[in-house]
Amino acid sequence: MTALYTDSCRPEDGCPIIQVNNLTVGYGDVPLLEDVSFEIPQGQIVAVLGRSGCGKTTLFKSLVGLLEPSQGEVILAGHKVRAREESLDAELMSNIGVLFQSGALFSSMTVAENVAFPLRQYTSLSTAAIEALIVLKLAEVGLSGYERYMPSDLSGGMQKRAALARAMALDPPILFLDEPSAGLDPVSSAELDETIRRINTHLGSTIVLITHELATIFAVAHRALMIDKSERKIIGDGPPWELAESSDERIREFFTRGSTIAKRNP
Amino acid sequence: MTPLNDLNHLLEPEAPLTFSLTPQGGTFDEIHVKLEGAVSSANVDEFLTEIKTELAKEPLKNVRLDVSDLNLLDGSGPAALLRIKALCAAEDNNLTLLGAHPELIELLDAVDLEILDSGILHPRPDPNLLVQIGDAVQTLRKMASDIIVFIGAIILGFIGVIKQPSTARWESIPKLIERNGVDAAPLVCALGFLMGAVLAFQAAIQLRKFGANIFVADLVSLSVTLEMGPLMTAIIVSGRSGAAFASQIGAMHVKQEIDALRVMGIDPVRYLVLPRIIAVGFSTPCLTLFANCLGIIGGCLVAMISLDLTPTVFFNQVHRVLEVTDVIKGLIKSFVFGLEIAVIGCHRGFQVRGGAESVGSATTSAVVTCIFVLTITDALFAVVYHYYRF
Repeated sequence: MTALYTDSCRPEDGCPIIQVNNLTVGYGDVPLLEDVSFEIPQGQIVAVLGRSGCGKTTLFKSLVGLLEPSQGEVILAGHKVRAREESLDAELMSNIGVLFQSGALFSSMTVAENVAFPLRQYTSLSTAAIEALIVLKLAEVGLSGYERYMPSDLSGGMQKRAALARAMALDPPILFLDEPSAGLDPVSSAELDETIRRINTHLGSTIVLITHELATIFAVAHRALMIDKSERKIIGDGPPWELAESSDERIREFFTRGSTIAKRNP
Repeated sequence: MTPLNDLNHLLEPEAPLTFSLTPQGGTFDEIHVKLEGAVSSANVDEFLTEIKTELAKEPLKNVRLDVSDLNLLDGSGPAALLRIKALCAAEDNNLTLLGAHPELIELLDAVDLEILDSGILHPRPDPNLLVQIGDAVQTLRKMASDIIVFIGAIILGFIGVIKQPSTARWESIPKLIERNGVDAAPLVCALGFLMGAVLAFQAAIQLRKFGANIFVADLVSLSVTLEMGPLMTAIIVSGRSGAAFASQIGAMHVKQEIDALRVMGIDPVRYLVLPRIIAVGFSTPCLTLFANCLGIIGGCLVAMISLDLTPTVFFNQVHRVLEVTDVIKGLIKSFVFGLEIAVIGCHRGFQVRGGAESVGSATTSAVVTCIFVLTITDALFAVVYHYYRF
């Protein structure tokens, strides 16, 4: 793994690890997000929330360099993120862990080989050390004993957890997680929340979560950004418990409706 | 107590990462080692080697590693401690980590040490020859029963459609004919033309020696209509349509679209396979007819250039030797080829299990199986046409 910050961006000088400046992004001529700006300091867990189709995953794609914004920029630790077709900036990406909504495990490789992939790509560790790391990372996500399984032999939730183990194989300082607890049972979801919190506490990793699971938001996020579909921008920014009591009807509705559904079950 | 990990090294990547290992003495069956400094992926292998060397010096029962001043900068530090734990367990030694973060100890305890020694990144050794033969026979038996069941499902599907024509997806057939027939026509025509030209050219070299130039028309017309036209067309169709069916249905299987059809009470065979069989069964003879015409035209062109035959002479000879039954024989063969391609392509698609790799294997396997089955069918047709003339 290489140096994360550039010389011009030092955290001790207050340079945020993630900067989004005037971002306008969408598909074709229709922007899903317009003129969005925010900053995230190192070590913060930020949940990006909003209703389906509001542009959460589009923002996620822009942050990791999979979608070129039509205007504005994304800066990670001083490096401007440039979306390219072939491959993204390897130096920068070795410091970033990404969990996709579907898990996106390589179907031709075992779970262990999936986790080993970034380790082989970016470190010169011996096989013995890599094997030990794989075993530990899988134990951290509760998949001990599944090393030799193929992704297709795992359930959706297990695939998601294996993908998280791969995303954190290099102990990246920045983690982007797209819907980490979607499709998981409440126990697995709570365990995953615990893992996310642990990564943040022990590694000091900055974590951006794309989610609409209220339980996850309250359990792990220091801060929440609420995107509104009609305004195409962030309409709420603050700790989740403060947003839940926001004066903005749209934000309050998101939290109250969600919690009502959660409580309805006897 | 040191933190489990610390990312500060990322701010100063040039700073050298060091550690030191100091034996603290102990009782006769105990070693007490104090570890200091920082461990990361940059020096973890060196760290492991030094500890292993220290532990190998004497037969011990109790190993006490003081890690209170050891900074584990990334996941490689805990991984190294796990390796040491496995090493101690293998030699029946007790390992105590002093000053370790409770979560680190909890994590290390959660791991089954036997997994580490099983070589998780190495493929499992192949089973012995007898087991492999047994597996192959089982696979063959399963394949045979699968294809029989699939053909049975297709026949039942056709019976169902005959009984209730409205249950078929007729509206998709024109689109499928366009994709699998019309779109393939330029390629089939080009290849048919070249095939006829090459046949005529090779024949011309030999026939000129005997002054039997005119027989080039016999050779080209009969071989193109009876053999080359149907076979070449079928190979192209299997490469285009057979592969496409396997990958389309395979991808649908992966995305559970087939399951969605089933739970909606729709028979996937009737919905997906029958229209494809009808479309390819219709398109392939049509394409063969194009290939035959273009093949004869290609042969005529070469005959004009290299044998000085006029088109009138060439086509008069074709008219004399080529009978309608020859063309029909070729088209019947072509129709059967089309059915086989559609059935094999769809069947391979239904066999997909797992992800992207399985779809790729199904596609390859569809083309290979198609070509193999086409060749066998062609040989059978040759025998049948020889003994049962019509």
